[in-house]
Amino acid sequence: MARQDWIHKWLCYAGALLPVWWLDAYILTRFPVFGITPLLLPVAVTAVAVLEGVSGGAGFGLATGLLWATAYAGGAGGRVLLLTLVGMFVGALARYALARSLTGCMICSAGALTALLTVRGVADLFFMRASLWQLLRVAVPQLIWSLVWTPLVYGVFYRVYQRVGGDKLV
Amino acid sequence: MKKFFRENGVLLLIAAVLLSVLITLCGNLFGTKIDPLGNILNTLATPVRGGINAVAGWVEGVYDYIFRYEQMDDELTQLRRRVAQMEDELRQARYESQENKRLRQLLELREKRRDFVFESARISARGSRGWDDTLTLSKGSNCGIAAGDCVISETGVLVGVVSQVGLNWATVDTVLSPNTELGGQTVRTGLAGILSGELDLLQEGLLKLGYLPLDHGLIKGDQVITSGRSGAYPADLVVGTVTETGTDEAGLSGYALIRPAVRLDKLSQVFVIKEFDIVE
Repeated sequence: MARQDWIHKWLCYAGALLPVWWLDAYILTRFPVFGITPLLLPVAVTAVAVLEGVSGGAGFGLATGLLWATAYAGGAGGRVLLLTLVGMFVGALARYALARSLTGCMICSAGALTALLTVRGVADLFFMRASLWQLLRVAVPQLIWSLVWTPLVYGVFYRVYQRVGGDKLV
Repeated sequence: MKKFFRENGVLLLIAAVLLSVLITLCGNLFGTKIDPLGNILNTLATPVRGGINAVAGWVEGVYDYIFRYEQMDDELTQLRRRVAQMEDELRQARYESQENKRLRQLLELREKRRDFVFESARISARGSRGWDDTLTLSKGSNCGIAAGDCVISETGVLVGVVSQVGLNWATVDTVLSPNTELGGQTVRTGLAGILSGELDLLQEGLLKLGYLPLDHGLIKGDQVITSGRSGAYPADLVVGTVTETGTDEAGLSGYALIRPAVRLDKLSQVFVIKEFDIVE
């Protein structure tokens, strides 16, 4: 793939990330359900990793992690590494074990969100900021609520994939 | 395995590790101020945030008008009743204030004097994520807002404390946020404790006044204000009212659950206290 095509493709993915980011950061936070809002950025990384594979997923994870760590309140640097790893492992799973489909994305999203929330929970437990029960009361609804939004996020990125994804621009 | 990683973005992984370390270092280096990249991103996103906020506010207004007309009408009636009640209380308070003034003069006590310097700001985004509760304001360091400044509503009720400041935006940890911790005291008994948000209370819209003596004698409805004892925050800002009391797990101290006096989800404009003096 020519460099120009490669840049075009990833600009399209970045463009698709913008409405997901705004939805996640500025719209859904106004309408929390039982005090919970979904985590759409990890779902976005999972969707792109399922569609684009290991390298694409890792790269997109890195960029999205950078956004997550810098543009959100209380952003931690570890988010960059976590989302890169999510992109990489989901890409590998999609390539070797799962189908490139919404079902695959849902399974991977559930796994990725569980991993991220577990990391967060373990950190909170370690620093004794909350009890396990308190963490589960937040993490489980957040996981479910994020999965409800997964089809929409996957749909956005699948549309991009259909137009410019994979090697279509070659 | 080695081949897999060589072919599939080991460089990206290295870059991710380096960026994670860099951002963490930046976070520690800049303290409560946001790192330059975060500042640029949030500054660029400010018009978008404002636009979305305006549209969402309009949609909320239309929705309220269509589907909650009856509820709003009831609310209006209740508010009118409340205003009348408060006007009555105000008259009583004015009388008591004058009497208090006379007594102070009589006892030659020096009056406390507070000089607040305010900065009004609109709320451009809300960040209630289950883990914390934040508000993003439309003004930042260009208007003299700094981390640690107290934020109040138009009625002088404490909303939260500024936690991060960018060029034209600032993030506020509300009183409900688990990151918030400040001194508080009850008006009726004068007991002081630590006001803090907690994860499991966040969803119920409550915060905790902890480290009280076991025989605190607080009752439901007692008003809680900031104590200002550390000097970091102004004193006498209304926080909320006691809804429940109890004893901590160790049985060494008591606590009270506080419902904030301000509806955080209904706020659209707040005031940042940039400067204050306490002369005792």
